[in-house]
Parts: sequence; C-alpha cells; structure tokens
Amino acid sequence: MSKISRRDLLQYIGAGGVGTGAGYLFAEAIKRPVEFLIPPVVPPEDYSPGVATWYNTVCNQCSAGCGISVRTREGRAKKIEGNPAHPVNQGRLCARGQAGLNALYNPDRIRAPLKRVGERGDGAFETISWDEALTQVAGRLGRLKIEDRADRVQLLTGGIRGHLGELFEQFITLLGSDRYAQYDFTYPANLRLANRLSFGIEHLPYYDIANCDFLLSFGADYLGTWLSPVHFSLGYGQLRQGREQRGRCIQIEPRMSLSGANADEWIAAVPGSEGVLALGIARILVADGTYTGSDRDAWQRALEPYSGDRVAAATGVALERVQQLAAEFGSSKASLAIGGGAAAAGTNAVASLVAVNALNHLAGNLGQPGGIIFNSAPVFGSATRHAGLTQMTELAASMQDGAIEVLLLHDTNPIYAMPDAAGFADAMAAVPTIVAMSSFMDETTAMADLILPTDTYLEAWGDDAPEPGVGLPVASISQPVVARVYDTRSVGDIVLSLARRIGFELPVALPWANTKEFIKDAWKKLYTELDPQADAADFEEFWLAALQAGVWGRVEATGGPGDAPAPSTIPDIDAAAATFAGDTAEFPFILHPYLSATLFDGRGANLPWLQELPDQMTSVVYGSWIELNPATAGELGIRDGDLIEVESPAGSIRAPAYLFPAIEPGVVAMPFGQGHTAYGRYAQNRGVNPVQLVALQSDQQSGELAWAGTRVKLRNTGERARVVRNDGISRTLGRQILHPEENHA
Amino acid sequence: MTMFDHGQPTYAEVNRDVLSSMLETGPRYWMLLGTTMTIAGVCFFMPWIYQLIVGVGAAGMNRNALWGTYLSNFIFWIGLSHSGTLLSAVLHITNSQWRKSIYRSAEAMTLFSLMTAALFVMVHVGRLWFVHWSFPIPNPMGLWPNFRSPLMFDVMAITTYLTASSIFIYMGSVPDFAAVRDVSTGIRRRLYTVFSFGWRGTAREWHTLGAAYMFFAVFVIPLAVSVHSIVSWDFALSIVPGLHHTIFAPYFVCGAIYSGTAGIVTVMYMLRKFMNFERYIGEKHLDYLGKLLLVLSMLWTYINILELFTTWYSGTSFEMEALDFRMFGFYAPLYWEMILFCAFVPLLMLFRKIRLSWNKMLVVSILINIGMLTERFIIVATSQPRKFLPDAFGFYFPSWIEFSITFGSFAIFTTLFLIFIKWVPAVSIYEVKETLKPLRRDA
Amino acid sequence: MRSEVDMSNVLDKLREYSKPGYYDEFDYHWTMTIDLDRCTGCEACVVACQAENNLPIVGEERYAEAREIKWIRIERYWEGEFPDVKLNFIPMLCQHCDEAPCETACPVFATYHNQDGLNTQIYNRCIGTRTCAVYCPYEVRYFNWFTYTWDEPLEQQLNPDVSVREKGVMEKCTFCIQRIRMAKDNAKDDGRRRVRDGEVVPACVQSCPTEAMSFGDSNDPDSKVSQVMNSPRGYKVLEELNTVPSVIYLKKVHDDV
Ligand SMILES: Nc1nc2c(c(=O)[nH]1)N[C@H]1C(S)=C(S)[C@@H](COP(=O)(O)OP(=O)(O)OC[C@H]3O[C@@H](n4cnc5c(=O)[nH]c(N)nc54)[C@H](O)[C@@H]3O)O[C@H]1N2
Ligand SMILES: Nc1nc2c(c(=O)[nH]1)N[C@H]1C(S)=C(S)[C@@H](COP(=O)(O)OP(=O)(O)OC[C@H]3O[C@@H](n4cnc5c(=O)[nH]c(N)nc54)[C@H](O)[C@@H]3O)O[C@H]1N2
Ligand code: SF4
Ligand code: SF4
Ligand code: SF4
Ligand code: SF4
Ligand code: SF4
Repeated sequence: MSKISRRDLLQYIGAGGVGTGAGYLFAEAIKRPVEFLIPPVVPPEDYSPGVATWYNTVCNQCSAGCGISVRTREGRAKKIEGNPAHPVNQGRLCARGQAGLNALYNPDRIRAPLKRVGERGDGAFETISWDEALTQVAGRLGRLKIEDRADRVQLLTGGIRGHLGELFEQFITLLGSDRYAQYDFTYPANLRLANRLSFGIEHLPYYDIANCDFLLSFGADYLGTWLSPVHFSLGYGQLRQGREQRGRCIQIEPRMSLSGANADEWIAAVPGSEGVLALGIARILVADGTYTGSDRDAWQRALEPYSGDRVAAATGVALERVQQLAAEFGSSKASLAIGGGAAAAGTNAVASLVAVNALNHLAGNLGQPGGIIFNSAPVFGSATRHAGLTQMTELAASMQDGAIEVLLLHDTNPIYAMPDAAGFADAMAAVPTIVAMSSFMDETTAMADLILPTDTYLEAWGDDAPEPGVGLPVASISQPVVARVYDTRSVGDIVLSLARRIGFELPVALPWANTKEFIKDAWKKLYTELDPQADAADFEEFWLAALQAGVWGRVEATGGPGDAPAPSTIPDIDAAAATFAGDTAEFPFILHPYLSATLFDGRGANLPWLQELPDQMTSVVYGSWIELNPATAGELGIRDGDLIEVESPAGSIRAPAYLFPAIEPGVVAMPFGQGHTAYGRYAQNRGVNPVQLVALQSDQQSGELAWAGTRVKLRNTGERARVVRNDGISRTLGRQILHPEENHA
Repeated sequence: MTMFDHGQPTYAEVNRDVLSSMLETGPRYWMLLGTTMTIAGVCFFMPWIYQLIVGVGAAGMNRNALWGTYLSNFIFWIGLSHSGTLLSAVLHITNSQWRKSIYRSAEAMTLFSLMTAALFVMVHVGRLWFVHWSFPIPNPMGLWPNFRSPLMFDVMAITTYLTASSIFIYMGSVPDFAAVRDVSTGIRRRLYTVFSFGWRGTAREWHTLGAAYMFFAVFVIPLAVSVHSIVSWDFALSIVPGLHHTIFAPYFVCGAIYSGTAGIVTVMYMLRKFMNFERYIGEKHLDYLGKLLLVLSMLWTYINILELFTTWYSGTSFEMEALDFRMFGFYAPLYWEMILFCAFVPLLMLFRKIRLSWNKMLVVSILINIGMLTERFIIVATSQPRKFLPDAFGFYFPSWIEFSITFGSFAIFTTLFLIFIKWVPAVSIYEVKETLKPLRRDA
Repeated sequence: MRSEVDMSNVLDKLREYSKPGYYDEFDYHWTMTIDLDRCTGCEACVVACQAENNLPIVGEERYAEAREIKWIRIERYWEGEFPDVKLNFIPMLCQHCDEAPCETACPVFATYHNQDGLNTQIYNRCIGTRTCAVYCPYEVRYFNWFTYTWDEPLEQQLNPDVSVREKGVMEKCTFCIQRIRMAKDNAKDDGRRRVRDGEVVPACVQSCPTEAMSFGDSNDPDSKVSQVMNSPRGYKVLEELNTVPSVIYLKKVHDDV
C-alpha cells in the first residue's frame, strides 16, 4: 500500500467534494421542472368532498317566517342557508336564523322527560319515561274533564302560527276549556291594532322598502329586529343600489339602532313624541296641498293643534328639519313611513302608529309601489290568541285565585319576558300542576312539575304562512331535517298522543297518528280549497313538490295587493302624550330598552354563536351594558366600564356603562336578551334583564306592555365591570379605510 | 496602570489560578449551580411544559399582538451574544493585548446567549413539534422552507453564527485543554486528551493555530454583524408602522454590541468576584470596556433620535400614531426608562472615577441591559397591536408565564455558564502567559 | 424517477423561474366585491363564516383576552359627534392580496399564493410563528392559542369539508376554498373546462341579506364581479400599501341633501 501524504488526502477530499457538488448541481439542473414550488401541500385534485343533502324548511328564530335550506351530511345538519325560492328571504338569512344549529345541537337541551323531585324551582328533576309522563298528564287532564272542570286548564304558548296553533286551539276546546293564550314579547299587537284603526285591516301589510324613494322610520329597526328583517334588508339593498335612483332613509329614534346607523339622517326625537312629529309632518302635507283628498278640510281641522312650534317643542326636532322632512316626504315619488321599536312600545304607541299610518295615507302611498301594499290575509293560521299585558295580568290573577289547576306551557317564557311586578312567577306558585313542553330549561320551564322535552324546529313537522306576507299567498311546510338528537317529541305529537290517552271525543276529532299526518291533512284541505279545480289525486305530487321547494305560493293571486282601504281615522287622530312611570325629578332618565339584533328578546341567549357575535352597534359580546351619551356621562362622572346601578320605580339592576355617541342625553338604553337565571350554560347568570326595570304600564288602547315607558335614575357604584368588546378605536384617525379620496394625515 | 493590578503572576501561577478554578470545586459552587438549575426548571421549563400542553395562549399574546416577550427576549439574548465572539475577534485582529484574559468568557457568553435565544424561538412557536420544518431537510414530500422569509434568514444566520462561534471558542481553547490534560489523571485525562486533539505545543502547531484562529476571527465578524441585521429584518421587513424602518439593521447591531459589551462587564465582575480572577481582569479592562460602552451608547442615542426624526418627517398617521403610543401611551414609562438607562446613565462613564470602579460599572452595565431588555419589549409590545385599522387596535400585556419564563432564562444562561467554567478554562491560560513580561532570573 | 435526461429542461427551468409576473396570470382570479352602500353591518356574514368554516366558540374569557376567531368581522367607525353622528360599517376579511405581505413572511410555505389568486393557508404545515399575522396590515389572521373544543353535541354541526384546527396554527378566510373546489369538481364532472360565473358562492356572500357582496372570477370580464368592481365607487382598503387586494369595496354614498 502506497503512502498517501496528508497533502494528497486533502487534495482527494477537495476533488471529491467539488465533484459531488458539481454532480448534484448538474442533477438539479436537468431535473424535470417542478410546476409549482409547493404541490404536496395542496390536497389532490381528485379529492371530492362528500355529497350533501339539503332539506327545505322554515326558520323559527323570529316570526318573520323565512324559508331555510339545511345542508346535511351523514344525517347531521351542517349549515342553514336561506331558501332561494322563498319570497320572504330569497336565499338570504340573518345571523339569528343561521344560529339555529346551535339550538338543535345545544348541549343544554332537555334530553328526556323530567319530573320534579324537590321543591318547585329547585331545579331537581328525575328522568321518567315518555309513557309515564304522558300517562300522568293525560290522567290529570282526563280527570278534570270527567269532573267537568276542564276549564281550569290553561294552555300558554309562544306566538305560534300555522296549523299547529289550530291544533292547540282544537285540543283545548275539545278538552272543554277556552283558556289558550299566546305570550310573545315581540308580537306586533300595537301595530296590528293601529292598522285596524287606520285601514280596517289588522293583518300586516307589505312595506315596500325596495321601491320606495324616501323611507321615514319612526323607531322601526327594520334592518335588525322589526317584523321581517331579512326581507327588509333585501329591500334596503335594492333601495340603495339596486335601481336607477338611490332611495333615502331617515331614522327617528332617541338611540341609534342598526337602521339608524344606515340611514342618511338619524334624528333624535324626544322619546314618545314620534306621533306628534308624524302629525306635525302630516299637518304640513295637508297645508301645503300635497294631500288633495275630498276630506282635506277635516284633516286640516284634526291636525290644527300640530303647529310647527308645538311640534318642535314637543319633539326636540328643529322646525326647519320638520319642514324639510315634510317637503321631502310629500315630494318623493314613493315615500313610506313606518313605526316600530320603542315608538311602538310606549303608553301612546297605538296613537303614534296611527299617526304614522296617516302620513302614508296623506302622501298617497297606500297600495302604491314603494308604499304600503295590503296583503290578503295569511293563507292560514295567523296567531289569534295573543295575550298582552292586560290578559296576562288577568291570567296571573286567575292563577292566584286558584282558578287554574293545570298550566300547560310551550315555548314561552313569561317569567323572563314579563316584569316581576306582573306577578306571573308568584301566580305560578298557586297552580297545582304545571306541565312544560319545551326544548330548553328556561326560567319558566324550570318552574314546571313535569317537563316534556320537545323537538326543535329542525326536527319537527309544522307549517307557516309568513306575516307580513309578500303580497301574494305564500306558505311553507316545516319538516325535520335530521333525525332527533335526543329522546324528544314534537309538540304536535305530544298533543296528539295526549288526545289519544285522554279519550272522549278527542281521538275522534284529532285522529292523526302524528304531526306529519296532521299537517299533510291540513295541506290536502288547503290544496282543494284554494284551487277547486285541483284533483285531489294529485295531492301526493303537490305535497312532495311543496316539501322539495320549501315554499308554496300563488303568483296569480286573487284579492291580492293593491286594494287601498280608506282610512277611518280622521276624527281619532290624536297623538296622545306618552306617560312615563317615575317622577321626573327622582328618575331623570328615560329608559330605552331595545330588542337585540343578536339575542333578540332573549331567546337567542342560549346560542353560543349569537353570544359570541359582537353587538352590531357596540361590538359587545357576552354581557349587558347600559348606553349613555358621553356628555351625560361626563356630567355624572361616569367612565366607560363603571358599574352603574340603574333604578326605576319597578326595580333596579347593575350594568357597566358604555359611552354611546348616538343617544340623546336624557335617555339611557339597554338591550333585551341577557340576564337569564336559567336557560343553559351560555345564557345563565350572564348580564342583566332590563325587563325587570319596566314599570307596569300599558298602551292606552291595546293594553300591551309599554316597555319603553319607564324612567330611571343612575348611580355610579364606584366599581368597575368588564365589558367584553372587540373594537379598538372606532374612529378612522384619518386613515384611508372608508373614503379613499381622504388622505391619511 | 499595568495589565495586572495585583502584580504579575508567574507562568505556574497562571496555570494554578486558572486550573484551580476548574478543578477545585467548593460547596458554594454546587449551591449556586443547584439554585440556578432549580430556578431554570421551576421558572422556565415547568411553565413551558404547561404552555406546550394548553397552547401558546398560556402567554398574554392575542389577536392584535401576536408577538410578545418570547420574541423580545429572543432579540435580547441574540443581542447579548454580540460582544463575545465579535469583540473577541475584532480585538484579536487589532492585536489588543488586554483582550486576552477576558475573551474566553466573552465567547462563552455568545454561545450561551445564542442557545438561550434559540430556546425562546422554541417557546415562541405554536407547534414546537414541527419546528424542524423550518430547516431545509430533504424529505419525500419535497417540502422546502421559504427562503424569502426573514425567519428563514434567521434560522440560517443563527445556526451559522452558532457553529462558527463554537468552532472559534473551541479552537482557542485547544492549548488550554492540553494544559488541563497535563495536570489531570484518570478519566479526566483521557477526556482532555481527546478534547485537545493531542496538542503537544510544537512550533508548527502554534503556527497553524495562529493562522486558523486569525482566519476565523475575520470570518466571524461579518457573521456577527449579519445576525443581528437579520434579526432586525424580522421586524423591518414587515410594513408594520414603527417597525418598518431602514435604520433597523444598524440599530439592532449597535444595540446588540451595546448590550453585549455591558453583559461582558457584568460577567467580568462575577468572574473576578467569585473565581478570584482579580489578577487577570483588571481596571484596564474596565476602562477600555467603559470607553467602548460610552461610544456605543452615543451611537445608540443617535439612532434613536434618527428614528424619531424619520417618523416625524414621514408625516403619516400610521407612523405618528405608533410613535405617539410608544412615547406617551400605556408603555410610556418603559420607554422613558429605556431612554434614561441607555442614553443618559452611560454618560456617567465620561468620568474616569466611575469607569474604574468595579461596583459602579456593575450597576451601569446592569442598568444598560435592563434598558436594552426594555427596548426589545417596547419594539414588540407597542407597534404590532396598533397597525393600520384602528378598529383592530389592541393591547398586549405579558402573562405570568411569560414573566416566569423570562426570569428563568437568566437562570438557564447562568447554569450553562457555571457548567462551562468547570469544563473549559474561563481565562485563556496560554494567551495570558503571552502578555506576561518575560521572566528573567535576574529580575 | 427520471428515465431520460433532457438538456432542454435546463433552459426551460431557467425561463420558468425567471419569468416575470409568474403570479400575475392566475387560472382564476377569485375576487370579492363588497358594496358599503348596501352593507348594513348586520353580521349575517360573520355567523355564516363561523358555521361554514368550523370557527371555534372561544368563550367569554378567551374573548375578553382578544383570542376570538372571526374570519370576517365588521369594523365600526364613528364620524362626528352627537347629534350629527354617523356610524360606518366595513366587513374586514382576508383581502387575498396579490402582493401579500403575509406570504413572504412564512418560513415554511404554510401560506402561499395559489394559481387561483388565493392566499391559502395550510394548517397542517403551519408551525405557528405568527409572523404572517404580524405582517398582515388588515389583521385578518387568527391564531389558535388553544385547541378549541365544542360542547357535546355541538361538534355534530361541524362541516366535514373543512378541517378543524389544533392549537398552534394560524387560520384565516380561505374564500371558502372548499366551495371553490366543489364547483371545480362539478365542472370537471360535467366535462366543462371552467367554472361558471356564480357557481362559487362563499358562505358570507350567500347569506348577506342586502346582497352587498359578490364573488367571482375577475379574469372573466363578463363575470358579475368584474362588472361590479369597475364601479366608479370601487376602491381598495389601504391601497397605498400596495398589497393589491382581491377584495374591492364600493364606497358608501353620502348624499346629504
Ligand atoms: N374511490 C375510492 N378509492 C379509494 C378509496 C376510497 O375511499 N374511495 N380508499 C383508498 C384506500 S384508503 C384503500 S386502503 C384502498 C383499498 O384498495 P384495495 O386494496 O384495492 O381494496 P379492496 O378493493 O377492498 O380489495 C382488493 C381485492 O382483494 C381481494 N381480497 C380479499 N381478501 C383477499 C385475500 O385474502 N387474498 C387475496 N389475494 N385477495 C383478497 C378482494 O376481493 C378485492 O378484489 O382504496 C383506495 N382507493
Ligand atoms: N365498510 C367498509 N369500511 C371500511 C373500509 C371498507 O372498505 N369498507 N375500508 C377501511 C379503510 S382501508 C380505511 S382507510 C378507512 C377510512 O375511513 P375514514 O378515515 O373514515 O375515511 P373517509 O370516510 O374517506 O374520510 C373521513 C372524513 O375526512 C374528511 N376529510 C377529507 N379531507 C379532509 C381534510 O383535509 N381535513 C379534515 N379534517 N377532514 C377531511 C372527509 O370529508 C370525511 O368526512 O375505512 C375502513 N373501513
Ligand atoms: S329574520 Fe327571523 S325568520 Fe328570518 S332568518 Fe332571521 S330569525 Fe329567521
Ligand atoms: S351580511 Fe352583508 S350586509 Fe350584513 S354585515 Fe355582512 S356584508 Fe354587511
Ligand atoms: S389580507 Fe393579510 S392575510 Fe390576507 S393576503 Fe393580505 S396580507 Fe395576507
Ligand atoms: S404562523 Fe404558520 S402560516 Fe404564519 S408564518 Fe408562521 S408558520 Fe407560516
Ligand atoms: S369567503 Fe368564506 S372563509 Fe372567507 S369570510 Fe367569507 S365565508 Fe369566511
């Protein structure tokens, strides 16, 4: 073996290294070009996502009646989208509608029938079988019927529309009771009454926002919570950019709502003075000759008291502004005035809404495109058993008196949604038997002796005819989109099986095996009634088609829109002053509660997606807050996040302060929705419930709770409280974010 | 003033003094080591493990401030690493004799602060278990890192710097390893035989070492400069107001050398105090380091003024807002603390009396490093939570986990250093001997 | 792997890599328009995205710590003072910048630009350095600070077409890439070469009650989105940063009479 010197070794290593490097570089260079640098991180082209099945049904998160399409995969609901064929929402959906999945798969659903074991309200229940539960309820009801005391059975449900409401109606009547009431905090009873007074038609008309040129809203948050927000949002989009001429929107309300934020002008009028403002405008419309009707003189006389000065003084809106509004309202091709929110929840709400209606009449908007178009009555089942404060107080009194032996509850939560002072909770204590048919353990359900867990709307059969309608007869079927998640039953099935178990004439009159049969039968009747030529044999086909489409409607509608009934309101026109509970000196602020655009009246509070959805106007999540004008706060020495005690004649609550730039100085605002003492992990013990501040006052004409008619006082507790919000600085600081022509300075 | 304040030692004394610090270990050492290791375990590793289990959310970062103390500590430790190898190399090239007794420890500082910095990268990332993906490791998926990313520059720069620094310090230690070998027996002797590569001290060996050492000294300087430039680009290559500054690379390098030099003063003090190196680390060192610090502080101040000026001159809302928040917002006290400690306190070193006082210099050097730690924190905490969209402005405050891990990192550094001084002569024996005046019998 | 050696590849490869505007010619250029004159800030899109893309429910504590995850959020900007005060809304989501600052930042290519002009996010590849989010001027990248779980049985609503992310990874709007892939897949099954206009509808666009958003391929001059984006009201947010966003906003009209 020859000797290799160190120098040689180094040379060999060097040469080897260079050779290896060169070889590598060469190999690299002649490599087939890689098309993309990172292909393996992209899933393979052939991967095909699984096939989904879509079911059409109806949203039940508010009473607008939007059509929904639920995407399911492997038997589970994955996503709720709007049903494009449904004329109410045309494929669109609001945040609440989409969060319906959280109700279906809510971890705090009641999973099996429960029987109370401890004291009432302790929350101690034991699980029992359906058979046992139904036997007990049927036995109790049957015994009352035998004893001819069935009139001591009270059925209390939420605002149920469609044939299900009729089923309840029949059931309770067959049982021998007349006691069926629906308590729905958001039911537009005042609006309906005002419409009846104004137009002689109670069911809600079509508000043609899409085609109107000048939209004057008195407190109606049509983009957030009023009647049919998705439909109105569609209309709003159309009004803004969907046509040749961009329409204008004015919002009159003491605290800026989502609709106020989107209006071209937001006008803060004194709370409760909306009717006066409307009549002030009306007076100008009549005076300046915009209104040319034959009864012009009568109008003129009736409106005499609403002189400019008086209106300006009463509303806090400058005279010129009122005149401008009147001029624009009168001269726009299509103008539309609507009223809602707090304006429809004062002691003078009906009068105010009648005044708003008068504006539409005077401007000649009735039956006109872009105005108020009258719907034919809903195809079926408009809610008719609505109970306002008056009826509910009477009911509470009957319960106290021992006139009620069995209280059947379904999908309503008066303990949460009525002021304590109404005494409903106390009255419930006097009822011997309370049966709740409910999906969730809300405050009212928690007081029951027996709980029958119900399907959510995504698991059950039903139907709905939306109100306000869309100008033509429309109805949709609700169908289960997935198999039941738990051992629950649909409320219709419960009623039907109770009927079977109670006996007498009930099983004969309510012969259906289940809700599906009942609904199908109802639709069969509808099918032949609405179209006498229809061949009953084709029903099956029609049924399937309706199920598939998720909506049924008739375009060539008879007696549809266009008929403008003459208003009968001239002599009644009188914007009565709103009264507020509480002495002005002691309670210097007017409380302006409002429906939350995320949690609504509180029913959304158990849905985590909605709890985590920042409030549109304040970005607050997961809690309550009280809004006050920064100037007011400054005077009171209140900073953002100070814990404030809000006291009204009716009660007191504590919530952190939120300095809100768009609220009148004399007003403090608070959203409904939080402050649940039950209702599952996402809702319970979170925030406060402003309903507890509301004094027991009602509208002078309708008897509805005037939830916007209370005064409060504020006290800074000196403590700090957390407001979870996700905004940083809500000013652009001159940056190019909204207006590109603006240069950042 | 001479190199040796306490009289020139003999060659034998040098050997004895230095080697005894390695070979004779008293209970004080073990107690210290035990303490630092416990602190490292309890304050650094336990919270880190907790964080690994629950997620980085254990720290205080949020959607507006996605970088926090982990990254600011990372810059701090990288910065601290700078005066070791870099200073040693520069001084070697310029043939500064006073370097010889301090450079070994300084280089060790480089090594250990780099390691601590690397640890912070691992604490920072969301998925530690995949951190190796940031290395270009050939793999069947053909996945490759993104060399456009400043983070990749970081990975490359830091690994290179760490490797080069390791070689540099090792190479310089070979003759000393031989010295250890020569005085030891048994296993230690065999170990150091390997460490010293069979060093015999021939003229040829000395010659080769000298050449190689010089080569590395030259090689390491641009590396050191590049490392902190690149770290600065993690920030400056973003378009975040307050970070997107061209001055950032020199700013970071200057800051790094500044804090590193201050770090050396601190370590020198400790070595002198606890390892009885008074004879080798003298006032002359202190004086030179003090002057260097003074120059660096003024450079640092200049760059800070420049930053203010360019921000003001740009006139953009973004930059002004960022600066406003930095100087007058929540973290303003920290900002002014930094200015005080890094711009004003060092001016004290204009006075010779202060420069020559070990205790005073210790205080100054520690204050400088507190200031520099703050500087890094301010960089991450005040800029990125307030970028372009005011609605998305946020706020960052570290969680207790971050405080704990930050504290623990000093214990890790100290632990590594304590272990080091028992394995490697902390003062270069042969180079100190080079500085001794030749001993003459008649002297 | 390679059977033959073709020297012409060397040149091809060189050309390929040195070709300017490699990223300019996308197969598709998915683009979104948002008309701020229609958008009401209703946040239907926010929930739609949460539902479609398996965004976690983080809970109050995490929310308070600003650890929420919302791929699309509505930013609010007040103007003026009471009583002449206005509130403007602007939906903010990943702008799918053609010159995306986030892409250069990622050390591992977990975020990159694909041939459809999308800024994609590969969860599996992400190591969680969060650099991309720091670099993003729109602050639309959200980090998984924890592994989020769903209270049983809420997990049953998770979309199987979208992976659930674990702690330590970054996420953001993908323009609903699963829907894009589905549409492409359908087109392929139908023997079509390209997806039709309107075939891809991201969840947020689908839900929007005011029809403020439109989505489509801006490479196709006839597509709806191409028409809308050419509106004189069109602008890009923070355009001066030169990120070249694929989201085009239409300015709100302020016509105070
Ligand atoms: N479209 C589609 N393609 C897929 C997949 C998909 O989900 N969809 N999945 C992929 C996956 S994950 C896999 S593992 C592959 C599986 O792909 P393959 O391995 O092709 O699986 P099979 O078709 O189940 O079985 C192969 C054959 O083995 C035969 N066989 C059964 N028992 C025995 C035995 O004891 N001895 C012998 N010799 N033969 C036997 C069966 O009769 C059958 O013909 O498919 C892949 N391809
Ligand atoms: N009856 C029967 N059973 C079998 C077999 C059989 O032949 N017959 N084969 C067996 C074999 S070999 C196998 S491999 C298994 C396969 O069983 P699984 O692993 O269950 O396979 P898949 O059903 O194909 O895919 C599971 C889910 O992953 C989702 N998915 C797709 N891509 C992604 C992604 O990127 N991220 C996330 N998070 N999810 C994604 C899909 O939508 C799907 O819902 O089945 C076994 N079981
Ligand atoms: S408006 Fe009402 S019905 Fe329509 S989607 Fe929203 S919650 Fe459902
Ligand atoms: S859904 Fe449409 S209108 Fe509502 S916030 Fe989103 S973009 Fe705006
Ligand atoms: S918006 Fe942000 S995340 Fe989206 S592409 Fe642009 S820089 Fe990247
Ligand atoms: S967080 Fe993930 S996607 Fe973002 S830069 Fe780091 S590795 Fe890349
Ligand atoms: S495009 Fe898809 S991923 Fe992006 S914000 Fe909209 S819904 Fe979310």
